[in-house]
Amino acid sequence: MMRWMRQGFWRRPHDPERNAAEYVTGELGRRATRWFEAHLLHCEDCWREVLLGRLGRRVAEEAREPASAGLRDRVRAAVQFTSEGGPAGPSEPSST
Amino acid sequence: MATDQDEFLRATMGAMDLVFSLSRRLTNSRQDAEDLVQDTFLRAFRAWTDHRRPKKVEPWLATICLNLARSGYRTRARRPSEVPFEEWMVEPRPGEDPESRAVGEIEREKLYRAMRELPEEQRVAITLVDLSGFSTHEAAEAMGTPRGTVLSRLHRGRRALARLLGDRIEEVSR
Repeated sequence: MMRWMRQGFWRRPHDPERNAAEYVTGELGRRATRWFEAHLLHCEDCWREVLLGRLGRRVAEEAREPASAGLRDRVRAAVQFTSEGGPAGPSEPSST
Repeated sequence: MATDQDEFLRATMGAMDLVFSLSRRLTNSRQDAEDLVQDTFLRAFRAWTDHRRPKKVEPWLATICLNLARSGYRTRARRPSEVPFEEWMVEPRPGEDPESRAVGEIEREKLYRAMRELPEEQRVAITLVDLSGFSTHEAAEAMGTPRGTVLSRLHRGRRALARLLGDRIEEVSR
């Protein structure tokens, strides 16, 4: 059975937020996408959420900031220093 | 023969922008963000030398960064921002006229402010998925939450940011 059928995309409760989030992120399969696009033509709530989701994603993508060359050098130097026997960075527990 | 250090740097340096973007959204200043990036890489390197190596580097680094931010940087994150206004300005692009540059600066400043005003969990979901290209499954794993929760946070964050663009469209069309 295909993934979109197993997941029962259209059989789950109507949830415009979730539908829009999956659609805008591009995580619906091809058939689920076709079904959802047909649904959008007559569902005002899903349509509105998709428009907002798309706009929001465009805005978010504007916030990309590359790391500076200085930071790259600093991290390389810190790793090198650590591998040569220096202190091994933060000591607080963390899942790695 | 390649050392641990060489292998580590080769495998992870490509994810530097991702970790920086994430750190930038989790801290209040560029300085704190850069400290968090360095600590993330050092923590990852320590795991690497203990032979705890991930299948995919990006979600692994994002998880370490999030965990560090949740522990050591939490106190600092609550501190009122000491960032001068100029720090939020975008670097001018060569050849851009002063008017466009001014508009760009205002918009960028507004954008960062809007991102900072989002609840942390929405900001992280947006950073992982929209800025770093994670799937929502990967983001859920990094954030330690169900995928449905990530979808909901992602959409609410996007909706809040959409209002910003909505305002701009209205201003431009006036």
